[in-house]
Amino acid sequence: MARNKFDIDEEIDPGFNPHYVKRLLGYLKPYGRELAIAMTLMLVASLAALASPFIIKIAIDTYMPAKDTRGLLMLAGILLLALLVVWLCQTKRIRIMARISQEVIVTIRSDIFAKLQSLPFTYFDSRPQGKVLIRVVNYVNSLSDLLSNGIIQLVADLFSIILILVLMFIIDVRLTFICMAGLPVLFGAIFMMKRKQHKSWQNVSRKQANLNAYLSESLNGMKITQSFAREYENKKIFSRLGQDWKDAWIPAVMANFAIWPIIDSLSTIGVCMVYLAGIMWFRDAVTVGTLVAFAGYIWRFWTPIQNIGNFYNGIVTTGAYMERIFETIDEPVSVEDVSGAVCLPAIRGHVAFENVNFSYDKGHLILKDVNFVISPGMSVAIVGPTGAGKTTIVNLLSRFYNPDSGAVLIDGIDLRKVTIGSVRAQVGVMLQDSFLFTGTIRDNIRYGKLDATDEEVERAAKAVHAHGFIMQNANGYDTAVNERGTSLSMGQRQLISFARVLLADPRILILDEATSSVDTETERAIQAGLVALMRRRTSFIIAHRLSTIRNSDIIFYIDHGRILESGTHDELKAAGGPYSELYRSR
Amino acid sequence: MSRWIWTYVRKYRFFMVLGLLMAVIVCALNMVNPMTAGTIVDRVIRGGERALLPKLVLLMVVTTIVKCLIRYVYQMIFEHVSQNVIRNIRQDLYDKVQSLDFSWFDRGHSGNVMTLMTSDLDAVRHFIAWVIYMSFENILIFAFSVSLLASISLKFTLMMLAVTPLIAVMALVFAKQIKPAHMKTRDQFARLNTVVSENIAGNRVVKAFVREKYETDKFMKENLLYRDRVIEQVKVRSYFIPRIDALVSILPVVLILGGGFMIISGELTLGQLVTFNGLMWALSNPLNMLGGLINDAQRFAASADRLFELSRRESRIKEPEVSSLTGRARGKIEFQNVCFSYGDESVLKNVSFVAEPGMTVGILGPTGSGKSTIAKLMCRFYDCTSGCVLLDDHDVCTISLETLRRNTGVTMQDVFLFSDTIEGNIAFGNPDLPVNDVLEAAERACADDFIEELPQKYDTIVGERGVGLSGGQRQRIALARLMAVDTPIVILDDTTSSVDVETEEEIRASIESTSGTRTSFIIAHRISSLEKADLILVMNDGEIADRGTHAELLSRSGYYREVWYHQNGIELPEGGKR
Repeated sequence: MARNKFDIDEEIDPGFNPHYVKRLLGYLKPYGRELAIAMTLMLVASLAALASPFIIKIAIDTYMPAKDTRGLLMLAGILLLALLVVWLCQTKRIRIMARISQEVIVTIRSDIFAKLQSLPFTYFDSRPQGKVLIRVVNYVNSLSDLLSNGIIQLVADLFSIILILVLMFIIDVRLTFICMAGLPVLFGAIFMMKRKQHKSWQNVSRKQANLNAYLSESLNGMKITQSFAREYENKKIFSRLGQDWKDAWIPAVMANFAIWPIIDSLSTIGVCMVYLAGIMWFRDAVTVGTLVAFAGYIWRFWTPIQNIGNFYNGIVTTGAYMERIFETIDEPVSVEDVSGAVCLPAIRGHVAFENVNFSYDKGHLILKDVNFVISPGMSVAIVGPTGAGKTTIVNLLSRFYNPDSGAVLIDGIDLRKVTIGSVRAQVGVMLQDSFLFTGTIRDNIRYGKLDATDEEVERAAKAVHAHGFIMQNANGYDTAVNERGTSLSMGQRQLISFARVLLADPRILILDEATSSVDTETERAIQAGLVALMRRRTSFIIAHRLSTIRNSDIIFYIDHGRILESGTHDELKAAGGPYSELYRSR
Repeated sequence: MSRWIWTYVRKYRFFMVLGLLMAVIVCALNMVNPMTAGTIVDRVIRGGERALLPKLVLLMVVTTIVKCLIRYVYQMIFEHVSQNVIRNIRQDLYDKVQSLDFSWFDRGHSGNVMTLMTSDLDAVRHFIAWVIYMSFENILIFAFSVSLLASISLKFTLMMLAVTPLIAVMALVFAKQIKPAHMKTRDQFARLNTVVSENIAGNRVVKAFVREKYETDKFMKENLLYRDRVIEQVKVRSYFIPRIDALVSILPVVLILGGGFMIISGELTLGQLVTFNGLMWALSNPLNMLGGLINDAQRFAASADRLFELSRRESRIKEPEVSSLTGRARGKIEFQNVCFSYGDESVLKNVSFVAEPGMTVGILGPTGSGKSTIAKLMCRFYDCTSGCVLLDDHDVCTISLETLRRNTGVTMQDVFLFSDTIEGNIAFGNPDLPVNDVLEAAERACADDFIEELPQKYDTIVGERGVGLSGGQRQRIALARLMAVDTPIVILDDTTSSVDVETEEEIRASIESTSGTRTSFIIAHRISSLEKADLILVMNDGEIADRGTHAELLSRSGYYREVWYHQNGIELPEGGKR
């Protein structure tokens, strides 16, 4: 797998895909009714707001020269009414839109999160955590503005433009055409800048992801950094990544800011043209009031265009983030339930590998033609040098991956034909890295069986001899576990994650170097519990200690992805093969 | 807090002042067009001075273009300044985080730090890049237009300004209420960050236990809470901002009524009223902007508070002012009555021992007996509660951290590799290490064999935490990383627990070949890993329960002998049990 690291830019399709905007709009669909209400409120408000230059025009042209006090009072009353309408509409609209946009963000965020849950190890293994994290948390948030203000504002702006155009046409058709003459220039400019702008924002998003990835990894690996006194070196790298981000940012905003002066200049030129034309050519037809009103509308005509310019900038800026989000949601899943997959029924624990080949990277076979059959209740020890493929065998068994060819069968059922969840629920894995979650010790053990009672939790802890050290803490089972459980010793973490597996009570148990950091005495005690436990289930143990291996019903010696030897301890010892060599080296 | 931000902005104050001066020019130019429009109405349309028109129109166009250019320049100035400021803050906070002690990291802050470094810094960026000059521009526009209007008619101007005190009061109340709302939103954002990052880190466990739904529920709780926080904050905003806008909308009413009556009474000409009308936007725009600017400023204030908190945090591990030791140590380590407690839990009790340069010390003991803590105190990741740890007879607290840690190399139980190439990981402690030395270090850690078998060999990028490699492979890369820095003291904390027995034998031989030049500490569960040590400490419950050589310890009954018998598959002789 091509792995990404913090200072390698993610590959990005350079063209902007308008399809993503459509996807985003799709998320708004369930809120059609509320959107319509918000839109209506917005339109009413802008209509009311637009009334003011018109009313002022009437006041200046008609009532003021006529010194009509009552007329002026009436106009003031209308304005006050309009103001009230605007106020009420805006309050309501802001609330509705905030709710809709937050609901959409919640949905997108949970979609991307749910997707992450279904992605294989390889997805996470092949890129820094920080680059995944920033997509779920920061990128999704960047859509907030676009959703809560942008889209509805766009509709309202389009509406005001139309309305203003109508009013302008009513007042004077020729002047209207003159003032619109600048628009083609604007569109031309936007079109020319589009591609470059999109590329520079993509670049910003990449540099931001790099910085984030490095930061997140720095935090996780800080203890190593400090132990090697490498702070200075890291600081230099971090500073370089920060500079890269700045260097990507500046050209991107430079392009964004260019839109505004173009609009501003064009609108001024429009006004000037109207004055010139109005006065020079149509002087008999154009009244002072008309000209004043017209000038008022020209500014108002360009304001929504400015807003649309901003909206466009928003789309371009967040477009790069939107792409990353939907790209993640669309990420293909390598291991997934096939259509018509059924639940694996309650199993007895018969396991078979039939001609299994497997590779993580194409062309680099990890398992080569592995065949074996294990009867229910048997215990299997897998031994062999590091990297021989031991962990891969158990990964296939709990269907973290599908074999490239051949089949893995439990109780005679090909695992590819059943749902992943039903397999993993019955195959318990105790992983090498005993990852604990933030919470209490009790929460962490209960992770194996969410509805377990406190007694069950304690029973599991006692079975793995974790009860003793847990009770030494003042808070016992309610002792807080911090991020990754670093406040506990490695051995203690392993015991807790072992209890977690026991509580899950799987039919097939996989112990992957599970107790490597547990002291011999504890391990021996666990072993006693294990014997009783394994009697009722099929178990696979990857371990390096002979004491653990010796009691197994069958031992596989694996090297270079093949089972070189299999048999009981005594058989293999007598056979004089690699296992006996291993035994002698002890 | 604001003073703290100022220390960063200060450096660029000349640019800021320059930018603000340019803003003054732009604001002045902003007055030109409405005035010109007024002139056109008064003199060209009414007065019939048509010859003036081309000049006036040209003036408007030129003004606008000049204005746009100047504005563009200072916008970019503020962008540059803001980028530089946040880069410097980010860098300083990164340094700060790097200097903080293990106990701070143990408490788990990654979600918060990620939030500080992304969205909080962005609030600062936005403030410097936008809020500052926007506020300035609006204040200027407001002041300009007020003074201009006042010169035309003071009375009418005062009438127009009648609503402003009310707006000011409302703005103040808004500012007070919105900040805590932003604070809450931001803190919830940090929690969201934590939940997601933990889920990503623990994705294997989640899958192994089929807990996708449980995790999604856990995430949804924070996700929804974040939504609620935003909506609460919007509620405050939607209460105040439309109210402020409504107050601003009273201006046209004043224009019609006040202006109308003043025209009727002859105090104002129609042309003057048109000028007022033209300049009304200059009064109302800044007031309309007020709500948004206050909102942004308070978001900035909330974020800056949190950033400041981190910047003020002090490491519990204090650097001495002068280092009592410089350069390479001989490698003598002494523990004198060392006690250490973590929280209220006592981890080490009265531990004393001496390791002479070149000695190999083995440490054995049950899980949680304090073995790793001994290593951590030697590197001063924590300070002992009482007693002292000495390196070459200097208290480690008097040695600069860099010197100390460059003398004490440690591999930790919880192997952490970086998402870098294998070569980069091995050369972590010394990035300029020649390739040959990298190969040699790998060889000494018995990692060369499997590395050579990888498709891209030493250029293989290992995933974060070394995922994709087996536990034993990770441990050997971590060991090679340690071998690559030649420290006089090495501490191997359970370094070979996941390595198979054959490889461990080789590793042991390679470590032994360099012993004599280094002081080594070997923490292990397998007696075979430490039986050749000059001194073996048997830890139990934070105390040294027994000490001696392999032969001595084996000759007495106790934990050590019991473990040895067990590991060699020999039944304990009768009476040997404790």
